Amino acid sequence: MDATGLIVLLAALAVTATVAWWLRARSGAVRAGGKGEDGMDETAVLSGLGVRPAEADLTVVQFSTAFCGPCRATRARLQQLQRTRPGLAYVHVDAESHLEEVRALDVRRTPTLFYLDRAGRLLGRSSGAPRPEELTALVEAHTGIRE
Amino acid sequence: MSRSSASVDVRGPRFAAWVTSAVLAVALLLGSGWVVAAQAVVFAVGASAGMRRAPYALLFRVLVAPRLGPVREREPEAPLRFAQFVGLLFAATGAAGYLLGAPVVGAVATGLALVAALLNAAIGFCLGCELHLLLRRAVPARTA
Repeated sequence: MDATGLIVLLAALAVTATVAWWLRARSGAVRAGGKGEDGMDETAVLSGLGVRPAEADLTVVQFSTAFCGPCRATRARLQQLQRTRPGLAYVHVDAESHLEEVRALDVRRTPTLFYLDRAGRLLGRSSGAPRPEELTALVEAHTGIRE
Repeated sequence: MSRSSASVDVRGPRFAAWVTSAVLAVALLLGSGWVVAAQAVVFAVGASAGMRRAPYALLFRVLVAPRLGPVREREPEAPLRFAQFVGLLFAATGAAGYLLGAPVVGAVATGLALVAALLNAAIGFCLGCELHLLLRRAVPARTA
């Protein structure tokens, strides 16, 4: 039995448990936009990508990479929701071919999602795959009732 | 969109991640560079020949899959291969550390590979896949 190895093994287990707990808690959690009081910078960058929030009740912008399993599930989920929710617009951005915007928006993980309302306000952003039921609830909250 | 349309049963890589975790844990307890080196070879096969030819995937198909129900979900192979490549870098560093007389380097690199494998096994989180974008972000744009 190797003492150093045993210590490293126990440390690895502790680190894994901590990271797993953190990821479970944070993945897909919607938080407010980071930059500017009202998310001005982020919406400007997004509009530079061709995002037109005025055309839908809720616009979801997804940053994905090819090396990202959960991105596919999230994309499929949103496209499925789109079929029954005409008020939902979905924009897919390949992060690796838009590295400038990735840096400007501080996208660190994929999928990273941005949620915009019809007025172009950033409702929030989330990184990591959202839980399906939470994503559905968010979409329903913003596309359910037409005023 | 993806260049390779190859996909695998999602349960295969999860099983492989558990086996990898067990192998790396044994390597740490024995302080054995050769066990880490063997795992590095397994990573290398997965990264270069593809997940379907990876040794643990073979084990999954022969021993585990027949006992499970039909395939319900498949996932693309490309991210997994990239993750195997990242695993190879850690395992190769670990093996070199142990075998070239720097056991602490060996143990720490092996420990990091173990964390990545365990996260994949336990919650399906792919550390190698996540690192890819962070690296691309950090490196200034090359001339297109």
